[in-house]
Amino acid sequence: MTLTQDEISAVALSIKVATWATLLSCPFAIAVGWLLAKKQFPGKPIMDALVHLPLVLPPVVPGYLLLVLFGNQGFIGRWLNEFGISFAFSWRGAALASAVMSFPLMVRSVRLSMVLIDPRLEGAARTLGAEPLAVFFTVTLPLALPGIFAGLILGFSRCLGEFGATITFVGNIAGETRTLPLAIYTASHIPDGEAEALRLIVLSIVISLLALFTSDLLTRRVESRLGLRSTDV
Amino acid sequence: MFDLTVDIRMQRGSFTVAMAANITAPVSGVFGHSGSGKTTLLHCIAGLVKPDRGLMSLNGETLFDGGQKLFIPPHRRHIGLVFQDAQLFPHLSVRNNLLYGYQRLRPSQRRFELGPVVELLEIGPLLDRRPGQLSGGEKQRVALGRALLYSPQLLLFDEPLAALDERLKKQILPFLRRVRDVGIPMLYISHSMDEILYLTDTVTLVDHGRIIGHGSYLGLLAQTDSAEFADGLDLRNVWEVTILENNRQFGYSVAALNNGRLILPPAPADEGKKVNVSVRAGQVALSRQRIEGITIQNQLPGKILQVISRRHGALVEIDAGVVMVAEVNGKTVEDLNLRAGDMILCLIKAQSLEYPDS
Repeated sequence: MTLTQDEISAVALSIKVATWATLLSCPFAIAVGWLLAKKQFPGKPIMDALVHLPLVLPPVVPGYLLLVLFGNQGFIGRWLNEFGISFAFSWRGAALASAVMSFPLMVRSVRLSMVLIDPRLEGAARTLGAEPLAVFFTVTLPLALPGIFAGLILGFSRCLGEFGATITFVGNIAGETRTLPLAIYTASHIPDGEAEALRLIVLSIVISLLALFTSDLLTRRVESRLGLRSTDV
Repeated sequence: MFDLTVDIRMQRGSFTVAMAANITAPVSGVFGHSGSGKTTLLHCIAGLVKPDRGLMSLNGETLFDGGQKLFIPPHRRHIGLVFQDAQLFPHLSVRNNLLYGYQRLRPSQRRFELGPVVELLEIGPLLDRRPGQLSGGEKQRVALGRALLYSPQLLLFDEPLAALDERLKKQILPFLRRVRDVGIPMLYISHSMDEILYLTDTVTLVDHGRIIGHGSYLGLLAQTDSAEFADGLDLRNVWEVTILENNRQFGYSVAALNNGRLILPPAPADEGKKVNVSVRAGQVALSRQRIEGITIQNQLPGKILQVISRRHGALVEIDAGVVMVAEVNGKTVEDLNLRAGDMILCLIKAQSLEYPDS
């Protein structure tokens, strides 16, 4: 099946938005995941709840809040406009919406992988002269890599499927914010669009499967490179 | 001079820790049952756990002062810790595990180099492997090397043999002695008095979050006759001897023990080599005079240092060039009227001497 110009545009946009969204979330997800996994501090339950909010709210709600905050008239949006940065009705806004929506999934994955690291292993590093930052970069982070990778792929997939927050925040503009799910939605709403919708749906399935297979492959690679998966004994 | 002063208090749920001790023996053991708080003590010394109150200092340097809110973090204490289950970094090769602490030292702080440590612990063939490919005993040797290469001013051991079976324990113990002989102060925690006595006879007793005794093992026995810590213990003498002769015709060996000579079963080493021999305290008999016409060939003269009466029998500590302990029937002590200062002969059958390291 050969793809039309519109389809290629939707796929390319989806991947661009998902990639940027994932890259944007990643450092924050690692930091928050580490805090939740390894640190005790006042307000931890509140932080935990806030992080998970996008997962349980109707996606329209975060989308609307983003509009209020980051729209051209929004609180933060107006301030950013002065630096020439605008999220409203652009693919950057779509990326921001996706980042927010996929954030809890990535945090959960990072957190789980870090909880599983024996604190005594980090203790061993500290009794060998490693300061806390060095412990993080030489022990915690490398050992959490499989979980971080899994989180990235999970987040990326979630971004590919993002619909509600995106359409609420940045609308449905062909070539700018019309990602695959929005394109499917659009196609299913015009007369005789079912065939087109079906083509896009197949495309979605193929891309998602590819992402999952890549994730599995990468995770295996990382685990065996880290010596966490015993390949030979 | 080695000086570790601990006076700490902490509350963890319903468990209270209140420990005070002044340890000046460079190599000593901490004995206690599981749940006695000995691991907590160790982690406090390492800096992994912060006590609620109190003081702690090592060689005059304050590590913790609750009143001054002073707490030196573990990475600035230079105190090594060998965990029960090695805790090697699974994502690093054995070589990089060994060098983890070493690389964090300035060259002037390094007392040991990779080559000699690898040789000492016989881990050369393992260097390029991952910890996942090592056996339990190999892991523990690598952990030992990793801690040693960090040139710590004190090396803590948290039951390093508890996770190993008897056969592996026997394999690792000699390496622990080697590390001890390298001259790094050691604090060895265990619920096995045998292991501790294999390395040192200075012991700190821990029970229910408190330190209930500190001193030489025999001294503690003398103080606390009914102390359960000594019950069921197979007390052994361990000495290092130099093999003088291997007699293959009759199947025995002769070794130098300080100034004396000892007849042994065939030695696992050549003439001139040093080996460890051990004998159970119960296998050492005492006699006022030399006995002729007896098959016991080892009759070592010595002076009684102390006689310790216990519930079951008595322990007699003798200076025979080396310190040895004989466990004898309480009545014979009375019959022979054994007193500190008396000269006595220690009778040891050659066949009761063992080579604990092989």
